[in-house]
Order: sequence, then structure tokens, then C-alpha cells
Amino acid sequence: MEAKEPREKVGSDGSELGETARQMRAAQPYIAAVWKLVGGAVVGVLGGYWLDKALKTGPWLMVGLSLVGICVGFYGFLREMARLGKRK
Amino acid sequence: MRKAMVLFASLFVATAWASSESSEGHGEGHEPSTPEYILHHVSDSNDFELEVPLGKPIHLGAIPPIRVGSCEPKMTDHGPQIPGLGEGCLDLSITKHTVMMWLAALLLLGTVLIWSNRDKTKLVPRGAGANLIEMLVLFVRDEMAIKNIGKEDGPRYVPYLLTAFFFILFMNLLGLVPWMATATGNLAVTAGLAICTFLVTQAAGIRAAGLGGYLKHLTGGVHPLLWPIMIPVEVLGLFTKPFALTMRLFANMLAGHIVLFFLLGLIFILGHPGVAVVSVPFAFAIYLLELFVAFVQAYVFTLLSALFIGMAVATGHHHDDHGHGEQGHGHAEGGAGHDHGKAHA
Repeated sequence: MEAKEPREKVGSDGSELGETARQMRAAQPYIAAVWKLVGGAVVGVLGGYWLDKALKTGPWLMVGLSLVGICVGFYGFLREMARLGKRK
Repeated sequence: MRKAMVLFASLFVATAWASSESSEGHGEGHEPSTPEYILHHVSDSNDFELEVPLGKPIHLGAIPPIRVGSCEPKMTDHGPQIPGLGEGCLDLSITKHTVMMWLAALLLLGTVLIWSNRDKTKLVPRGAGANLIEMLVLFVRDEMAIKNIGKEDGPRYVPYLLTAFFFILFMNLLGLVPWMATATGNLAVTAGLAICTFLVTQAAGIRAAGLGGYLKHLTGGVHPLLWPIMIPVEVLGLFTKPFALTMRLFANMLAGHIVLFFLLGLIFILGHPGVAVVSVPFAFAIYLLELFVAFVQAYVFTLLSALFIGMAVATGHHHDDHGHGEQGHGHAEGGAGHDHGKAHA
């Protein structure tokens, strides 16, 4: 069976893509993984801060949700990295 | 050429000298400082005026503000202030940047309609205008749309890409014409353009993956218990690319104009007309660079839009290829072929 070109190198119809498009598509999974790591912490801190303000619960929800956000972000990041590793 | 440059510089030295003398002569009222003058010129307002060399600007009048919502002025330490959008006041005033956008749209329509109206019975267009338009249209289609989206899906998005390219180009070029303003040096305008790209990108993603597939990407592929954290992360990630588009175009256009104004402003800051010998040729060089930047920025915005649309389409097709039941998922953001590479082999 003939091997197909990886998705990053071809358009939706299998046509050759430009250099920039190929590089962006190759980099995108890594950017997405890093965004999960950072985004988890950001969402945890901001969400906790907002809930603390709304419920007047002091710093506790922010501390708690920050930790949860960091853990979920890490989990998402490692999961993505493991998949990318398998693919290679 | 050298003679022309010397003539050009001496003309500006004479103008600057006369200007400094005339400003010494006036002195009544508050004379704006150079930074104030520059900021006034690059910022938006609903007060229309025409600059007169060596004289006071002619006020053409102000269009009354149009505001919707609770817009009662509030007293602050800096005097009465109109509440912002976050406080429920939507400002729909017609400002000079709005007028510039309308003007750019009218010029664009007129130019393209005139130049594209060729003899349809002949295959090859004749005339510089028709050939220029054809060259640019083909460039956007072949080098941007097809190379970044693909041969099959690319042409579908060419109308949007062409509209964005020409509209931004015309707005950028209008800003270089005396008495005009650069609408793309306004954050609201670039944000509006980026929102258009964002909507097209998401629509392309939904079209390619289906609504279910698109929503599945938003879950980040994690256990449903983690969705309350992961969905906001992915949704937040959707906005990073339009944010980058907004800031990049705005900052590039604004910075160029500020540099241009400051180079000329050096004459007044240093207070000696002789400075014009250096600053005017520099400003002229920056002006030519700005002319180039007008094309480059329109190109970069369109190229990035095509890239984002291409990645959204690729994600969708990718999703279709492998079915929805797979654990692996992609990133929601317009994006990117992910992790199913193995299956392609």
C-alpha cells in the first residue's frame, strides 16, 4: 500500500501546500499543547478570582481552582505530548 | 536626483523656519506640544478639520455623537466622562476613521468595478488597471488561498480573502494621502477585521468537521469531569489568533505614522529649522517605507487569515477521515492537523 503524505504537508484535497502553511501545521500541535499548560492555570486563577469576588469567599476558591487548573493543564499537556511522541 | 533632494530639503527648511517664526508670533491660547499634536492626529475623533500649512486648521464641523444605552456622563477626577461599553454605553458615533472606511470602500468598489469591466469576448484583459487587478487577484488566489488552504477548498474562501486584502490596502493607502487618516491605526477597526476572519475561520471549521466534530474539539479530548476547566481553556484559545491579527495590524500602522510625525516633530522639539535637513529626508524615506508597509500589512493579514482558515479546514477533514469515536482529538482553534499521523501511513 502506498504511503500517504502526512496531513501537515498536503491540502484538504492532497495538493501541495506552501512552505508557511506546512510549517504552521507542523507546529500547531505543539502550540496547542503549550496553550493547554498555560491556559489551565489562567482559567483556574481568573475563574477562582471571579468566584471569590462573587461569593465573598476570600482567597480560597482562587487558590483551589488555581491548583485544579494547573493540574488539568499539566494533564492536557502531557497527554498531548504523549500522543505526539507516539506519532513520531 | 541629488538636485531634487536638495531642493526638497531646502523647501522644507524654509517651511519649518517660517512655521517656527509664525508660531512665535501667535502665542494666544494653549499651543499643543509636539506629542499632543501627534496623538491628536493619529487618534480618532468626530471633529473634522483640515490642516493648513503654516496656518490654523480649518474646522469642518463635528458630527453629533450617536450613543445607545445608559450613556449619562459620570463625574470623575478628570471631569465628566462617558461610560464605556462595559458599563452599558455603546458608542456608534460617525468618526473620521468611520468616514475613511466608507471612503476606502467607495474607492475600492469604484476602482475594481471600472478595472474589471473589460471586453468579455477577449480572453486577455487590456490596460494597466485591468492587468494590475488581475495580477493581484491571481496572487491572492494562487499564492495565498490555494497554497494555504488547498486546491479544493481554497477557491471557496477567495472572495473573503480578496475583500480583506483590498479593503485593508485601500485604508492603508488612504492614510498616506494628505488630509486623510489611517483607519487601520484604530484598534476598533482592526478588531472588526479580525472578528470577520475569526467568524470565517470558525465557519470553515464547522463546515469541514460538522457541528458535532467542532464541539468535540472544544472539549480538549479529556474526561467529561475535566470539561469545566478544559472547555474555557479551549474557548480562550480560539481568541488568541484574532487577538494577534488585531494587535499586529494596529501596531504596525500606528507605529509607522508616529515615527513619521516624530521625525518631522524633531524640528519643533529641538527648536532649530536646520534639523529639517536631516529629519525631512528621513521622514521622506519612512514615507516611502510606509507605502511599502501598506501593501505588506494587507498581504500579511490576508496570508494569516488564509493560514488560519486552512488549518481549520484541515482539522475538519482530519476529523472526518478518522471518525468521531477516536480518543485523540485536535485543538479547537482553527486548527491544525493533530495527532493522527500514524493512521495516514
